[in-house]
Amino acid sequence: MEKKIGVYICECGPNIADKVIIDKAIDAISPLKDVVVVEKFKLLCSADGKKFLEEQIKKQGLTHLVVAACSPKEHEKTFMEVCENAGMNPYLFQLANIREQCAWITEDKDEATKKAIRLIRAAIGRVRYHSSLEKKEIESNPDVLIIGGGIAGIEASIQLASPKRKVYLVEKTSSLGGLITNFEKNFQGMKLASNIIKEKIQEINTNENIKVFTDSEVEEAIGFFGNFEVKIKKTTEENETAEFNVGAIVLATGSTLFNPNKVPQYGYGKFENVLTSLEFEKMNLSGKISLKNGTTPRSVAIINCVGRDEKGYCSEICCMYSLKFAWYLKEKIPGIEVTNFYSDLCIPNKTDQKFYEQTKDNNVEFIRSSDFEIKKDGDQLKINYIDEKLGKDSRLVDMVILAPALEPTIDASKVAEITGVSQDDKGFFAEEHEKINPVSTSIEGIYIVGCAKGPKNISDTLVQSEAAAGKILSSLIPGKKIEPEVKTSHISESFCIGCKTCLTVCSYGAITFDEDKKVSVVNEVICRGCGNCVAACPSGAASIKHFKFKQIYQEVMEAVK
Amino acid sequence: MTKALKINKNTDQGVQEFLKVLLENNKVKGVFTLKKISKDGSIAYSLITDPDQLNDAVPFYPLMPVNAGKLLSRFTLKGSTKKPIVAFLKPCELRGFVELIKREQGSLENIFIISSTCGGVYPIKMSLNGALDKNLSKYWDTVKKGEISPDLRPACKACTEFIPYTADITFDLIGNPELDKQCVLFLNTKKGEELAKDIKGELLEKKIDSKKLDNICNKRETEKKKIFGELETKMKGMDGLIEIFGKCIGCHGCSKVCPICYCKLCGFENSDFEYKPSNYEADFRKRGGIRVPPGTLFYHLGRLDHISISCVGCGSCEDVCPVDIPISIIFKKIGESVQKMFEYIPGKNVEEEIPLITFKEEEFAEVEE
Amino acid sequence: MNEFKGAVIPAKSGVKKTIIDLLEKALDKGIFDAVILPMEVPAGDSFVYVLIKDKSLLKDAFLLPPVMFVQGAKAVSSVTRLGEGNLKIAAIMRPCEIRAVIELAKLGQTNIENMTLISIDCPGVLPTSDFLNDPKKSMQLFDDDAKNLDDKIMRPVCRICDKSSMVSGDLHIGTLGAKKDTFFIISNTEKGEDVVDKLGINLKDKIDSWKAKVKNISEEKQKKRKKSHIDLKSKTGGLDNFLDTFSQCINCHNCMRVCPVCSCRLCYFDSDKVKHPAEDYLSRAERKGSIRFLPDTALFQMGRMMHMTISCVSCGCCEDACPVSIPVAQIFSMIADETQALFDYVSGRSVDEPIPLVTYKEKELHEMEDAND
Repeated sequence: MEKKIGVYICECGPNIADKVIIDKAIDAISPLKDVVVVEKFKLLCSADGKKFLEEQIKKQGLTHLVVAACSPKEHEKTFMEVCENAGMNPYLFQLANIREQCAWITEDKDEATKKAIRLIRAAIGRVRYHSSLEKKEIESNPDVLIIGGGIAGIEASIQLASPKRKVYLVEKTSSLGGLITNFEKNFQGMKLASNIIKEKIQEINTNENIKVFTDSEVEEAIGFFGNFEVKIKKTTEENETAEFNVGAIVLATGSTLFNPNKVPQYGYGKFENVLTSLEFEKMNLSGKISLKNGTTPRSVAIINCVGRDEKGYCSEICCMYSLKFAWYLKEKIPGIEVTNFYSDLCIPNKTDQKFYEQTKDNNVEFIRSSDFEIKKDGDQLKINYIDEKLGKDSRLVDMVILAPALEPTIDASKVAEITGVSQDDKGFFAEEHEKINPVSTSIEGIYIVGCAKGPKNISDTLVQSEAAAGKILSSLIPGKKIEPEVKTSHISESFCIGCKTCLTVCSYGAITFDEDKKVSVVNEVICRGCGNCVAACPSGAASIKHFKFKQIYQEVMEAVK
Repeated sequence: MTKALKINKNTDQGVQEFLKVLLENNKVKGVFTLKKISKDGSIAYSLITDPDQLNDAVPFYPLMPVNAGKLLSRFTLKGSTKKPIVAFLKPCELRGFVELIKREQGSLENIFIISSTCGGVYPIKMSLNGALDKNLSKYWDTVKKGEISPDLRPACKACTEFIPYTADITFDLIGNPELDKQCVLFLNTKKGEELAKDIKGELLEKKIDSKKLDNICNKRETEKKKIFGELETKMKGMDGLIEIFGKCIGCHGCSKVCPICYCKLCGFENSDFEYKPSNYEADFRKRGGIRVPPGTLFYHLGRLDHISISCVGCGSCEDVCPVDIPISIIFKKIGESVQKMFEYIPGKNVEEEIPLITFKEEEFAEVEE
Repeated sequence: MNEFKGAVIPAKSGVKKTIIDLLEKALDKGIFDAVILPMEVPAGDSFVYVLIKDKSLLKDAFLLPPVMFVQGAKAVSSVTRLGEGNLKIAAIMRPCEIRAVIELAKLGQTNIENMTLISIDCPGVLPTSDFLNDPKKSMQLFDDDAKNLDDKIMRPVCRICDKSSMVSGDLHIGTLGAKKDTFFIISNTEKGEDVVDKLGINLKDKIDSWKAKVKNISEEKQKKRKKSHIDLKSKTGGLDNFLDTFSQCINCHNCMRVCPVCSCRLCYFDSDKVKHPAEDYLSRAERKGSIRFLPDTALFQMGRMMHMTISCVSCGCCEDACPVSIPVAQIFSMIADETQALFDYVSGRSVDEPIPLVTYKEKELHEMEDAND
């Protein structure tokens, strides 16, 4: 088909015209093959300029358009729209940057003109080999995947679910509720925890817009904001999988306790009656607080900051729940001695100070201490420590409750790998920005809430869940259209030998392997056109639209001629 | 009678000056010919645009590192050249190019073709590190006498198509005892005449010495019979084929250097041809085992099927065969039999269609019932 | 070295015969369904790999032939690339061939799940053309030299090969250091152990004499190798020397095609990407006064080097296939050593060791970055 390339050189006010001798460029460009018109214009991005270009395209019957002006970052989109308005495929256009890359970097007019001519020639050389590309439009999926059925995930589900927006809530254990189901009470106000959590779970179960998967794990979550392809599998049954699409993902995988076996000086696992806080919560919830031999303890030590040095951060909630434990003990075992060993006290919220003072008034001893060593002493446990004021000291108790640090769950890394979300150096999911964007991640459409992103109490968790829900509600509006990348990769079935090198370097999971044909296949909706696969493929079976070898080669050849 | 130009210089000098004039007068923008490209005497085809670099050009060197017809096809594959060039081809290379043009794999537009009556080339193994240079005087002696050099490619020794058909200019080399003092160029076409206009020399009307050429042809014919005969005794029946091709390693080098093999991805290399487990199971049932990788003989029979109609007998295939299979003679022999069936000489006339794609209603009636 | 387990096998009727007998037993017992072994061709001028299912064909098998016409990994790939059905296949090949099979497994070109890979101590192979000159004489020379551990008639890369007894498959047949009329069977994997066990062989013998002999030979070869590489670098290193070395190259691509690692369906350098319009060639010629046609020979060589040396097993098939006798294998093998050393990688050492190209390590090759710190 005959090509008619129109070349338009923008003066850009004085910006280009002052340095590039445009008439000279016009003389040099006019005789080139396929070029039917070369003209200059004062300011092509202005309303007049755009109108001029549109008219020119139609009047000259142009098949391809080259504009020599500013950076593509500035106006590539502008001129592509002009093409569209004139009925020309916007990808049959090339912008030569003779401003930032030419006029603005030299005082020498001769050099600037020579370079401008080269750049325009290169653009012409390239545009000759451009193909029409069609924009794709898909409707964004308003549904949401929430990974983790603890309070964080539950709250987000409730906030988000609606007739126009399905929520898929995936929980790895067999029931919803997470850590809270082990608590009798919450430390803020000492309200019955079970009530809160039971209500929420009830809401989930009766909401027909929330689908719950228990005993399940996410295997795959590939895609982008508005279109993630998700695969779930049941951990208890082989071959039971589910696949669906969502538009956003919330990671609410919570946390677990640091293992005190790693700090053997506390005697955990060595001696009886040394418990973690979670073990104590469960014991308390079961109705009877007792020692291993069945008797009731008469003295209990609660030791905070177990593992704080090792992890390098404060876990926020332990001081407060230690106060709660003191109240459990005092209420259920009259006359019991409770001592709280702490290194620093973390009692931030507006009601916490009062709670602390009430606890102190309730005959609970607080000792600022360090350097613990717990040994067995007959039926009791001997705690050796260094009292901040008194120096070396020791205490005999019946039971020791350790408050270990909160750390990310074991599968946090797996979830991070599946979703592509980064983890910080402590293993928690990393937010986009601690202060400005605390529940978003670097991946658009994936949010992190609750203890999965760092230790926190229940009310802060709920705040984050609602925040993430709010972000999704405002940006993922049902019916919203998204345009996946146009300039995607393609792998030739005839030439692919199935070595999977492309698959290994794809950052977006956009390449899958067809086991029958033994070739790699690109998912064009998910592909972002980064070009890694094209660079990695040794034979050139992978190629990318709009950056075909021929296009780049011709551009370079014309530039260096 | 044909127009001819006699240049009173020895052939090597004459041809170099001829080419220099062409470049300097802008008659052509480039010269495509053999050239010495390294200090240790390696010779390769080159595209020369600077007249000074013609000093290293050796157009008639008895070597064919690659079939130049294949190279010209690559040069013009993506479109004919807009600027004129002159190309030196040996007769079989020219015929190879013409066969490729018939298959849309190249274009003669703006290309002047110079060829010569051809005394044959040496196998590439003999040319390493400039080793052929010492053979040159002996070679030219035999050419002048119209005899066959004993160490040439077997395909050259058996070649009876040593006179180019479609060149614009043909250098008359074989059987010419005066090569040291003069060279005679036949100007076969208007293009040839145009090219020779600026060259200093005697314009003559010369008769082609058909007696001399027939003489030489007879010698070649005798040699061919001998070489073909040797092959025939070895290659009898299936057993003979297995004997000859047994050591083939399936490198497909023969196909890659063949001017006629032009497929982007050879049918024997694409995924359809791969043996699947079911194929092996069939062979197990029949024979209890199978050579792997499979398809050694099938590949050659297939290639014969595809290209023998156009085989120009250049012998490039045998030069690259790592296991010394007399592949050029096999293809040349079978090629000639196939071509005879259709009275077809590959590369003789670019207008003559390839028999494969020509339908004649009355044809091969003798093989019908 | 791995913790190998070994057994001493008596071989009164000869090592090769005993091995064939064991394979026959294995086929009988269904330990394997088929084996890939070399056989001599009817014309007596070559040896080819055959996939044998019928055990009656075993008697014609020829272990450790004097030549490597086709790299064994290519034979294995042709059988298993599309899955080997349900066949349990054993292959006995030289260490470099086994390594290539393992390397190709990582590239999806062989499927070794149901394969038992058996390597054997290798004295080297003769260059193809030397063998073809006089097959009978060559056979004799090979046998003599193998016995005397003399390698001057072998391929140049074989002469400096320090991995001629490398064990990376499932089993290995050790002839070095073995007492007269015996050989070692050495097991490297559970699969190998299982096979040997089913054959009624107890892996309880000491293989110290084999280990010692192998170490000895490997160290000597390493010295030779180092020296050879220094010499080769001085001859071929630097752009001018490199171009001179490859000036004879006619771009036939034989080296690429016989290479087991080069498995692309259509090589980049055969594809449309290197086919340009006449104008481009002419303007390149105009810039320099002339260009060789077709140009970019060095680009092909360096490009292939870049693509495959991370997996090169130094088998030397490329050099044998070169029609203009360029020392391709020696050069590529030398570069392969350096490339693989950069990543502490040995090609074909283990199927679980991913190829460095597709492995991301955050801290790597810092010495290549600008010295800012």
